[in-house]
Amino acid sequence: MSEALQSLFVLGSTHHEAPIELREQFALNDQDVVNFQKTLLQLPSIKECLIVNTCNRLEVYGLADSPEIEDLIRAQLCDQNGIDRSLFDTHSFWRTNLDVLQHALEVSSGLDSQMVGETEILRQMKGAYALAKENKCTGTVLNRLFEKSFQASKSARTQTGITRGQVSIGNVAVDLASRIFGKIKRSRVLLLGSGEVGEKTAQALKSRGVDDITVSSRTFENAHALAHELGGAALEFDNFQAQLPHFDIVISSTAAPGSILNVEAVRAIMNQRPERPLFLIDLALPRDVDPAVDQVENVYLYNLDDLSKIANENLEQRRQQIEEARKILKSHAWTLWLQLRRRTLLGDS
Amino acid sequence: MHILLIAWEAFPISDRGAIGIGASFYLVAFLVGMLTLREKKPAINSLIFVLLGAGFLMQFFGLNIRGAQIKACPLGNTFEITQFITWSLVMLFFIIGPVFRVRLLGFFTAGLAALLSGGSLIFPGLDSPYPPGLFGGNPWIELHAALAIFSYGVFAIVALVSAMFLIQQHGLKTKQFKGVYQILPSVQQLDTIAQRLNITGVVMLSLALIFGAVFWVGNPELVPFFKLTVTCLVWAGYLTVAFLRIQKKLVTRRHAIAAIILFLLALASLWPVQSARNSDATAIRPSSHSLAQ
Repeated sequence: MSEALQSLFVLGSTHHEAPIELREQFALNDQDVVNFQKTLLQLPSIKECLIVNTCNRLEVYGLADSPEIEDLIRAQLCDQNGIDRSLFDTHSFWRTNLDVLQHALEVSSGLDSQMVGETEILRQMKGAYALAKENKCTGTVLNRLFEKSFQASKSARTQTGITRGQVSIGNVAVDLASRIFGKIKRSRVLLLGSGEVGEKTAQALKSRGVDDITVSSRTFENAHALAHELGGAALEFDNFQAQLPHFDIVISSTAAPGSILNVEAVRAIMNQRPERPLFLIDLALPRDVDPAVDQVENVYLYNLDDLSKIANENLEQRRQQIEEARKILKSHAWTLWLQLRRRTLLGDS
Repeated sequence: MHILLIAWEAFPISDRGAIGIGASFYLVAFLVGMLTLREKKPAINSLIFVLLGAGFLMQFFGLNIRGAQIKACPLGNTFEITQFITWSLVMLFFIIGPVFRVRLLGFFTAGLAALLSGGSLIFPGLDSPYPPGLFGGNPWIELHAALAIFSYGVFAIVALVSAMFLIQQHGLKTKQFKGVYQILPSVQQLDTIAQRLNITGVVMLSLALIFGAVFWVGNPELVPFFKLTVTCLVWAGYLTVAFLRIQKKLVTRRHAIAAIILFLLALASLWPVQSARNSDATAIRPSSHSLAQ
């Protein structure tokens, strides 16, 4: 029985082993994944297989008759998908047996992710599992492994702080907005400029229920296109200062060479709305908002550095929880390993 | 009331003893909240709620024993008034907490209740004896006293909410993102609640003064001038703050600071007001009796 278990493997390349330029070369599209899974299953020694393919990882999980399968899988993957074999060999890993279980559990829990604790990977793992199952590529062992990994992921996330605190600029901004306004659904948002970070921040607010988003940019066409994308309205850039008193959250990411909002302008705005707070998110470099604006009563000004610092502190806090989460996952992996052996699943499959 | 008396007969305890146990419950609730905050664990709201409830009942029990002993509403000295304000504060928490869903309000209420209730127990001088029948059985003055004390309870909650506002605002202005700042309600929510409660408190205190005035008109010699002046000053202070707030001239941070300062002044005025009232009451006792008759 224990001999049979030695044929469980994972071959992969992730952000730990390969920089983004190489990961771009290794990445497969959806059809490549389906084709490669089918190819693997046609190999006489492969009993089950599943591919996890995201922007940060390409991982091939499988169950084989023999542990001497590594070279064959590597060759097949590189040949079929036009990947440079020597590059892949130097920027990839191969794990077997209990290490595969521990690895799968850590990946699904977000412990192995670039943004520790992120939950998107769980959705991606579930998607990969559903696809492999649909194509009848998985069997008793991989089914059990992935279903258990989803359960273990929940335990690790709820029993430790690996998901605590936001780690992206957009979500940090949303958290801050909640601390200022409480329910942010009714807040009116003005997005100045069409920078990528600003757009993502607006999207983060939209995902939390904000539906009143206005976009203003020097190029009105850009503003109009982005407003359409965000389901909002476009505003002439020359007119934005006059309209500012009507907005609660202003995200600024223009390419202006200097400040577009100074203390006097903000004081004038606050005189018209002394009771309602104003949240200014300055994501531009050089900054769009004069830092002295922060001194104005009921105005909360955060720039890119402030938001990044909070995101990094939260990420560090999450990292401190990794060992605790790993212990929980080890116990899950060991239990799963014993179950697989006890039920002689590998022999049956 | 009947149940409380039966409980008292079964477990004889002094009024100050029951109030002391109540204050201990408040202190434990505050410490539990503090511990959960320090350990960065989710606040045990239900436990704090239960501890506050236990403290509230014990304090109520103690005040009832005191009331049964003097055969009147126990509002005759600074100790009793402070206990009644604390009791009103906790009762208001039970009303406001679930309605506005203000996170951490229970923790802050427990802290202030422990401070006020425990503090007034520590200084025996505040529980000075006073002549019986201080209110002369007049329903107007009893209504005046009850409403005035209740409004002070409202102002206590306003001060707490304002303190929470200042902490959250400080966190936002100094870019603090951890600990208590993450759990406190939003500045806008706290500001709105403080404004609404302040207006409620002003309305109640105004009603208390109107009922008090009915009594005062008939018995001007029974109302010490010092008490009248201080009470009117406190009322005028809160009225001004509420008016300026409605006019949007005293908002957010300055409104919060004003609410805290006014509450501290109102509290600080209790002892001299009571001293003046008791000395005047002792001096005019015979005429007071004749009036009552």
